[in-house]
Amino acid sequence: MPEAPAPADDQALEAEFDILAKRAGLAVPGDRKPALLRGFKDLKRMTAQMRQPRTAADEPAGTYSILTVTRSV
Amino acid sequence: MTKALHDYSIAEAGKLLRSGGVTSMALTEHAFERIKAIDPLINSFITLTRDSALAEAASADADFAKGIDKGPMQGIPHALKDIYGTAGIRTTCHSKLLLDNVPKEDSVVAAKFKAQGAVMLGKLATHEFAFGGPSFDLPFPPARNPWNPAHIPGGSSSGSGAAVAAGIVRMAMGSDTGGSIRGPAGYCGTIGLKPTYGLVSRRGVFPLSYTLDHCGPLSWTVEDSAIAMEVIAGFDPLDPGCADVPVPDFRGKLGRGVQGMRIGLPRHWFAKAEGASPETLRAIDDAAQTLAKLGATIEEIELPDYELYNACGRVILFAEAYAIHEKDFQTRPLDYGMYTYLRMTMGAMITATDLTQAQRLRRELSLALNAKLKHCDALITASTLAPAHAFADLDPNSPPNFPIQTMPLDVTGNPAMSIPTGFSASGLPLSMQIVGRAFDEPTVLGIGAAFEAATNLHVRRPSFDVAKAA
Repeated sequence: MPEAPAPADDQALEAEFDILAKRAGLAVPGDRKPALLRGFKDLKRMTAQMRQPRTAADEPAGTYSILTVTRSV
Repeated sequence: MTKALHDYSIAEAGKLLRSGGVTSMALTEHAFERIKAIDPLINSFITLTRDSALAEAASADADFAKGIDKGPMQGIPHALKDIYGTAGIRTTCHSKLLLDNVPKEDSVVAAKFKAQGAVMLGKLATHEFAFGGPSFDLPFPPARNPWNPAHIPGGSSSGSGAAVAAGIVRMAMGSDTGGSIRGPAGYCGTIGLKPTYGLVSRRGVFPLSYTLDHCGPLSWTVEDSAIAMEVIAGFDPLDPGCADVPVPDFRGKLGRGVQGMRIGLPRHWFAKAEGASPETLRAIDDAAQTLAKLGATIEEIELPDYELYNACGRVILFAEAYAIHEKDFQTRPLDYGMYTYLRMTMGAMITATDLTQAQRLRRELSLALNAKLKHCDALITASTLAPAHAFADLDPNSPPNFPIQTMPLDVTGNPAMSIPTGFSASGLPLSMQIVGRAFDEPTVLGIGAAFEAATNLHVRRPSFDVAKAA
């Protein structure tokens, strides 16, 4: 498994969280923020793991299928 | 000595119903007596549907009297996790947001049981939206573990696991997005079958994650789950995830044993996992030896790191769940329970690129696991990594992350069944899971039935003093 990138410092992490929360239209109560930041730190670790060595041709699971999508028509 | 009515398997009860040895009304009344005696201790039900259940039982008995046979669940009591839509019966998802939600139509699964003349006793507790729990800040109390009500039953199909283990129903429906069938099955000592993705319609079941959601049974025995699958499996063109494939013979390999089978064991997934209990690990090794003695070849195999599967599934789950709840989460976020709130917010933090990379990884991980299943008939691996934790271990301000390794099979979509492997010194169930090739549930069930017959663990059940009166 590739090594995860060095973790962002807490200040940068909080700044990124605030931007994403604002973009999503969420008003986060202050007393919930410490727990959310712990979760966000864990999420950042996981999203880093999604980046693996692969080529441009490596398509995702769930690639669009017109046959499946339109079969109920 | 005559067995108590709840000790009859679905097949045994079915024979008695057809021979006149018992009535559906008697089975149903007995189940409600057990609910009255036991459920205050374990909170497995949110809503009871006594009147309609008794009407369904009377209808089933009338059909039997006329020689009408609609199938193996006719006249058999069962229950549904409260995310399954039920026409005219509230479907709350254990949430304040849906307290008044009364669907106009049945989910496909509910309709299939109804069409067979099965008797639906009520709706079962879950984690909120099958996502956040076990919690004490929701409109209904969390279900508890029948083996020790101070402990969690696992989730999110918490009421389903508790009701089956307590002997209220032989089979209850759950759903599995990251392990929500196999987790409670493992913690409660029942069978829990997550079928292949697309084998059972999800239409009418409140979604958690479109590409990870699976509907499946929790039951007392392997055969009970096989019978439930006979009822619920099948193509639904209106469910875009449903697979147009032949429905297998779910009971076709029961009793055939495992002689000559090759079973893979990805021991590196769980052997050094954080939180794994020595008792659980020993029980899996013992289970492998049991299967070997029955004639299978156990082969230790290497797969991509477990954490990759887990992270991949969680990223997809958070993103899809947030997409479903976005509007409510923006407008009434504090109506969600704390655990749901904390988890759901993570979905808003995932970028489109993160999600696409997760779906690319998902394909790679699915190919890797299914490559192993080219030369193995099935795999066995850990399900729950330790006995059920106590409610006292919960931190109300931080969602629990109990050690469990079920997510990989939601990511790949392969069938996976949790089965008891023994008990901890504290008397709580231990488990493993059996994993099969896509749409090869019969092999998974066949291995499970062979193991169940060899170990006979299913005859041991929780004992409630109050239950003895029922």
